[in-house]
Amino acid sequence: MEQQKNEVLPGTLNLMVLKTLSTLGPLHGYGIARRIEQISGNMLQLNQGTIYPALLHLEQMGWISSKWGVSENNRRAKYYSITRAGKKQLAAEEENWRRASEIMIRFLEPSGENI
Amino acid sequence: MTWLRVFIYRLRGLFLKQRLEQELDEEIRAHLEMQIEDHLRQGMSPEAARYEALRKFGGVEQVKESYRDRRSLAIVDSTLQDLRYALRSLRRSPVFTAVALLTLALGIGANTAIFSVVNGVILRPLGYPKPEQLMYLSTRFSGFGIMRHPVSPPEYFEFREFNRSFADVGAYLTGEVNLTAGDRALRVRSATVDGHLLSALAIQPEQGRLFAGGETYVSGPWFPGHAPPPPAIVILSHELWQTAFGGQPIVGKAVEVDGRRCEVVGIMPPGADIMDNRAEIWLPLGLNPANRQFRGYHVLNLVGRLKDGVTMQAAQTELNALVETWGERVGVTVMDGAFAPLGQPFAHNLQMEPMQDVILGGAGRSIWVLQAAVGFVLLIACANLANLLLARAETRHREFAVRAALGASRGRLLIHLLTEALLLSIAGGSLGLFLAKVGVQTLIRAYPTSLPRMSEVTADLSVLLFTLGVSTGTGLLFGLAPFARTRLKDLATALTEGGTRGIIGPARHSIRRGLVIAEVALAVILVIGAGLLVRTVYNLTNVEAGFDRSRLVTFSITTPSMGSYTKSARAQMYQRLLDAFRAVPGVQSASAASGLPPARPRDGEDSYIDNYSSPDGDPTPSIDNYQSVMSDYFETMGIPIVQGRSFQPTDANPSGMVAIVNESLVNKFWRGQNPIGQRLRPGWAKPWFTIIGVARDVKQAGLDQKTGTELYFFVDQMSNAPSPLGRAPGTINMVLRTTLPPLALSQTIKSMVHKMDPSIPVAQLRDMDAAFAESIRRPRLLAELVGVFAGLALLLAVIGAYGVLSYMVVQRRREIGIRLALGAPRSSVLFGVMKQGLLLTTCGIFIGLVGALALNRLMASLLFGVQPSDIPTMAMAIATITLVAAIACLLPAWRASRVDPLAALKYE
Repeated sequence: MEQQKNEVLPGTLNLMVLKTLSTLGPLHGYGIARRIEQISGNMLQLNQGTIYPALLHLEQMGWISSKWGVSENNRRAKYYSITRAGKKQLAAEEENWRRASEIMIRFLEPSGENI
Repeated sequence: MTWLRVFIYRLRGLFLKQRLEQELDEEIRAHLEMQIEDHLRQGMSPEAARYEALRKFGGVEQVKESYRDRRSLAIVDSTLQDLRYALRSLRRSPVFTAVALLTLALGIGANTAIFSVVNGVILRPLGYPKPEQLMYLSTRFSGFGIMRHPVSPPEYFEFREFNRSFADVGAYLTGEVNLTAGDRALRVRSATVDGHLLSALAIQPEQGRLFAGGETYVSGPWFPGHAPPPPAIVILSHELWQTAFGGQPIVGKAVEVDGRRCEVVGIMPPGADIMDNRAEIWLPLGLNPANRQFRGYHVLNLVGRLKDGVTMQAAQTELNALVETWGERVGVTVMDGAFAPLGQPFAHNLQMEPMQDVILGGAGRSIWVLQAAVGFVLLIACANLANLLLARAETRHREFAVRAALGASRGRLLIHLLTEALLLSIAGGSLGLFLAKVGVQTLIRAYPTSLPRMSEVTADLSVLLFTLGVSTGTGLLFGLAPFARTRLKDLATALTEGGTRGIIGPARHSIRRGLVIAEVALAVILVIGAGLLVRTVYNLTNVEAGFDRSRLVTFSITTPSMGSYTKSARAQMYQRLLDAFRAVPGVQSASAASGLPPARPRDGEDSYIDNYSSPDGDPTPSIDNYQSVMSDYFETMGIPIVQGRSFQPTDANPSGMVAIVNESLVNKFWRGQNPIGQRLRPGWAKPWFTIIGVARDVKQAGLDQKTGTELYFFVDQMSNAPSPLGRAPGTINMVLRTTLPPLALSQTIKSMVHKMDPSIPVAQLRDMDAAFAESIRRPRLLAELVGVFAGLALLLAVIGAYGVLSYMVVQRRREIGIRLALGAPRSSVLFGVMKQGLLLTTCGIFIGLVGALALNRLMASLLFGVQPSDIPTMAMAIATITLVAAIACLLPAWRASRVDPLAALKYE
């Protein structure tokens, strides 16, 4: 049976990137993309390429910074790391998402007490 | 501030485009390679690994594009692209580009030049600190229709004491003095001022000091013309210091002014002036503040500075209240010359006006007329360019069609057209700025004193902004006008409609026609306006001035008021000089007068007139002009003596004072009586003067003014009379009638005056025609400039009509060919095209006439001897335009009639 894959919800890619960088430290684009795929248990329909405009946007906002470096198998790659402002942003967005998903879950819960 | 950071990032993206593009390539390549390696490790075949990597990544080009969009400023990118494209396409059609640039440079240049004048003369505040606080105070004699007249010394000092609104009020006189700089004698323009004036103006010296408050005042008996000398101190203007003294240190040293040694105490900053008199030297004003006599001696010009926080309105209210009670306060009746509110018989009133308004005077209207004229020229230029662009857009329809097919949006096509238009107009504007610079310099050189504040006319920031604004506005106007009737939705269709062989939509043609009609209409308005102004100058030059101005040379000299020149020595010196001139071969006669017709300041005074009672009971009615003349004056000038006789050498005896009056004076005071033997005397003179003759009216106040009343004194007699009656003018205008070319005498004149007294410079040496031209310099400036602009407008309009007609003929080539092939006579083709052209012209003329009738009324005050709706001028303008338009239509019409039917059909 074909596994059902979800589209990336708008606005969530940024959060996923920030979270990845905050957990794993400096990482190149490919690594970030792999990590997102792994965490989502391959349930996400991610065009890996879309991560690059997102990275540019995060860098422009000052939430991440980038630096050229060398990968584990000696390949030149651009490494991204989260900044102090990025951490603040991540905390705020995490909180937002937690609250939003809580509301959605409560709303969708079949128990009748809230209805 | 996030937006700023993003903006800076994007700006960086714009400039580091190539490097960032490479980095992006490298990053994506690394990504893909890592993915492929992972796949290979999982055991995929190389092709499958590569394919799977690309699939997971998504479209590489799309990712790059969306990355680029985010990286850089898309609008700048596409604008740059449009600019490059526009530059390329303009370079491809050099003739079009050159014509368009030239037209724009002329139009925008003329507008910038005239706006520099508007800006420098009207808009820019005066160059003093807080100039809006400066007020010009003058008296107004409502009964005599004198709107602005100087103030007398007692009135000045009273006002200084009474008012509470002004921080300071000062007084000044203007004139000319002789200045000896080294071994050269110069005549320089002087401002005679008190310290209060300088403190009111708030001028700071460039070097040394200025006059202090009461420093210039004198004590002791004070009479008009007979006062103790003020302190011997002077201030030089920066400009005079540079030109006459080479900028050498001079403060503390002495110079000779009118024969008197004076210490230079300071140098004025560059450009310092008072009321646009272009003062070169500043002299102390010797008033006696204790003297409160001579209330009728109106000679002082007053300038005051309002206190901080006092509005003009508040000051005006206070002034009105002061005038109300002035007479009681100083113990003088209105009849004896106290101020009183307007409306009372013989009352004169103290009035206050912003200094800048008084300086501008009546010049504002002339300047706005010029600005309107150049504005019209620019509009015509716009119409021509719109036509050119329209024709170009039509010949380029294929290019547009291709671009539209390739997916260029309509907006993008429009932006492309606008970019081209703006590029042209900005480039044309830059050229225009250069032309304007040259134009302004030429204007200042050609008309140095025709308008006030001409020396302040420069291109400052507001002029630059104006040019930028006009250039952009022009570009938008001619870039968009052709498509005014096209909705954006239909733009691509409009741009691509028709074909080289197709038929141009009728809408296009009606736009063309409309543009031509508008051009002709604007040109008609300008040509009629120019015609009226030229008529004005013609009328002014042909005014009967009352004397024969041909072969008359004139110059002026000033004898020092101090030192060796007593009044009789002065008169004798003039007489000796005249005798010497009379002996020069080629000089028929020579004489001199205190004032030079046809334009001189009004200098008459209140006078007693025997046998006359004024209808309003005024005991001393005013005479407009006093004129002191030497012997042979009437003979030299060619002024007929219509009754009685002129002055004779025997009249020099002061035992019985004699005078001559003009016809206007007789008509005013002794209408129907025999004037010979009647008596009158100036207010300050005791003995009566007996009238011995009546001279024909001579223009004194300007050629466009009604001749006023005039009283002639005989210098030879006056100089012999005892004080205070005895006097001889310090400055006198010599007139020489000659059989030689007038200016051939100039060297002789200079050397003879120098021989008589080397400290006396010869000033204003010229022939009488030049003096006339000088007196009508502003109407001449207007007529000449508007004339040039009208010529330019006519030329542009005709080029426009010619262009459109030629274009239509080319478009209709095939149709004309068919008609000729079917047997239509060539003459009918010729007349057909001519008719079309002339129909457009006629429409334009009609609309222009309506516009001219509406607009020219605004010029009425600038005209002389011609009505704004003058029929001959309009007829002339219409005839000129019709003729020129007919010639412009003839060429395309003739070409149409010469079309070879075979070629026209084969051409398809």
